[in-house]
Amino acid sequence: MDSFLLLLASTVSTGLLLGAVFALVAAGVTIVYGCIWLPNASNGQFFLLSALVAWGLTSSYGLNSFTACLLVLIASVGLSLLFEKLLFRRLYNVPDRNISYFVITLGLTQIMSGIFSMTFAKWSDQFSLPPLVSGVTMIGPFPMTNNRILVLGIAYLSIALLFILLRYHPLGRALRAVFQNREAALLRGVDVHSIYKISFVLGSSIIYLGGLLYALAYSFDLTIAWTMSITAFAIMIVGGPGSVLGALVIGLVFGFTQAIVSNFTSPTVATFSYLIAMLLILLVKPNGLFLK
Amino acid sequence: MNQPGAIPLLSVKDLTLRFGGLYALNKINFEMHANESLGMIGPNGSGKSSFVNVLTGHFKPFSGEMQFAGQSMLGKSAHQLVGLGLCRTYQAVRVFGNLSVQRNIDTARLFFAEEGITEHQYAQYLDWLKLTPVLGKTAKDITLFEQRKLELMMRLVLKPKLIMLDEPVGGLATSEVSEMIQLLHELKAYSSVFVIEHTMRVIKELADRVVVLIAGEKIADGPPSQILSNQRVIKEYLGSAHA
Amino acid sequence: MKIKPLHALLTLALLVLPFLFKDNRFLGFILGITYLNIFWATGMNILYGFVGLMPLMFAAISGIAAYALLYFIAEWHINFWFALPVATLFASFIGVLLGLPSLRLKGFYFTLCSLIIQSTLTLAFIFFPKFTNGDTGINQISPPLWFGEPIKGYAFECMLALMAVVGIGVSYFVYQSNLGQRFVAIREDDVLAESLGINVVINRVVAFFIVSLYAALGGCFYATYIGFISPRSFDVLSSLNIWLFVAFGGKATIAGPVIGSILLAPLPFLLQSLEAYKDILSGVLIVLITLLMPGGIYGTYLAWRNANK
Repeated sequence: MDSFLLLLASTVSTGLLLGAVFALVAAGVTIVYGCIWLPNASNGQFFLLSALVAWGLTSSYGLNSFTACLLVLIASVGLSLLFEKLLFRRLYNVPDRNISYFVITLGLTQIMSGIFSMTFAKWSDQFSLPPLVSGVTMIGPFPMTNNRILVLGIAYLSIALLFILLRYHPLGRALRAVFQNREAALLRGVDVHSIYKISFVLGSSIIYLGGLLYALAYSFDLTIAWTMSITAFAIMIVGGPGSVLGALVIGLVFGFTQAIVSNFTSPTVATFSYLIAMLLILLVKPNGLFLK
Repeated sequence: MNQPGAIPLLSVKDLTLRFGGLYALNKINFEMHANESLGMIGPNGSGKSSFVNVLTGHFKPFSGEMQFAGQSMLGKSAHQLVGLGLCRTYQAVRVFGNLSVQRNIDTARLFFAEEGITEHQYAQYLDWLKLTPVLGKTAKDITLFEQRKLELMMRLVLKPKLIMLDEPVGGLATSEVSEMIQLLHELKAYSSVFVIEHTMRVIKELADRVVVLIAGEKIADGPPSQILSNQRVIKEYLGSAHA
Repeated sequence: MKIKPLHALLTLALLVLPFLFKDNRFLGFILGITYLNIFWATGMNILYGFVGLMPLMFAAISGIAAYALLYFIAEWHINFWFALPVATLFASFIGVLLGLPSLRLKGFYFTLCSLIIQSTLTLAFIFFPKFTNGDTGINQISPPLWFGEPIKGYAFECMLALMAVVGIGVSYFVYQSNLGQRFVAIREDDVLAESLGINVVINRVVAFFIVSLYAALGGCFYATYIGFISPRSFDVLSSLNIWLFVAFGGKATIAGPVIGSILLAPLPFLLQSLEAYKDILSGVLIVLITLLMPGGIYGTYLAWRNANK
């Protein structure tokens, strides 16, 4: 009985954590797709990038995790702006740009994965970040590391903040206006291209944050990039492309699914099932579950 | 006049289209015979475009029946309807912009492998529409009026029994509008015509009968003179719109 | 069908080259791979260039054909030449079956579905070792026999050259035909095409079937030419690679895929020192072509020529 309860507790905590990470990354992908029509196939590589750089900072330069993560987040804004300017801005007015963006980000995936193979892969097989805080707290009869509690807290706080931003803040309303009706937003004087830029930075930042949170809780290797890309896309499609609520809810569902499945078999099975779920939704209800 | 018992060319019974809880079309009823020209008029948002889209296989109706020359149109896709003899043009002019005018027409002619129009008829149409000088040009480089005429040519080679024209004079200059109205008059010699418009001017000159659509419902059906003096039509529509 | 002298000359050149490289096995092999890729790229161009859909499951169909071929030869003890059409048709039908539901979808959604199917099939190749020997792959694949003699060396390259030329010819024939005109109409404006009486879905299926034939046939010859296959031979990167040959050379033209294959296919072999950078370089090319040269080399040349007439 005891070991079953422990298993249950650990599955729940894994589910909560994976769910939050999935939700954040998928929300980032869906914001960028809904607003700019940019399906970011390289989201998993971004996810991995922040985790790897943070690892590099903590292991080579001895920075503590908190500082490392902060630096990565700040730097990531600059990187997002660079990508936006160099790669994506050109196609803002092209009608069929989503497929071109998809191909570009597939190319970007190849580039980044190639770079990672030649650099980080040579330095280590497994990566992880040192915990933010040490110590263990007992939640009832279940022990949980303070680090994990903190990571969970940050993750859900971020989700809440994101939700509040999109729903109540003028910026969030502008983003939603552009997503729902581009022409109408233009007529109301919204500077659509600026919104595109902001949404790209916002969406990408959430992805980078997801990578950092994951790295703080688990050890990882390079394959997590493509797994995350598939998972994020699947969540976005099943939830409904552009629906942040859909991404958050389905993200949590997939996170728990993965946590439960991992108890019985290899996580590849979970990834496989996400592929199938994505395919089914695309064929049966392409607008996903949360969009009208 | 029609022989008694002649099958109407187009017959619409209780046609209803719903989007969520909204009725875009609510129990539309009318008939059209081959030897008359029909017009449909209504303000923007009245359901005219939805109507055309349902009739040409783009939307599935919620309920109701529609028949073309006695055959049911329900469940038929756009290309199947071309086989029955029903064609349409689009509100915003739609041609293959990157292909040459000649290639545009050739593409339309692909439909009939053998029993297409004769070479004589083909030359006649080209001449009548004055398209011969622009055959070699790329379709996006010709004027809007020429593109509208190209649209007509592409429908004519499909040997249509009925052409539904969705706002055929949209975007044309005043002088071109008169020319186009004249062309559409002459078009009636080759095919029955159903014109959908939001101003009375074009409908008045072309249609034998007019159906008035407001907020998804048919509120009047009759010759233009009758429509123009219909109290309800004047109150709900003509009063505000320019006739 | 007009045959211009330049085309005849180039065709002859393609057929004659294997003899020139008869004794240089290194260059001969590169030539063979190039012919195979010309064939594949020409095939993918029919769907991508003519119809406007990007089939990223192309390599998976080649894989199905290759594995099926080897299975039929091993289990049914038939020779290569009988197994070839069976495996090709089998893989093509599976390709159409898998692709069918997504052919109604447009642009990006079709590509995404295609990518999912490709990824799923790659996983299937890895995790069903009963048919595929999993990630280890199948090696020591024997070449086909011709009257008892194995086809090896420059004789195989001649065969591949013939296949490439026939492939180009078929593609040209489709391009000129009514079918090809319908494909282009669908690419340009599928709603308009439909309203002109063109059955868009059926035509897409036909195009998809033709393209699957190319993928499958190529897969069978690939297996017997290289002598070794594994799930990695037929993964997403392979599909993207062939797409790159088409896009780089110039989509929707007959010459484009040929040019792209000739320029890019030999590179991994000629620049072996840069092997590690292969993925990065092709990724860069993908990005650059999409952003800067959507018409590819030949397409850009044609546009320049038309502008300066």
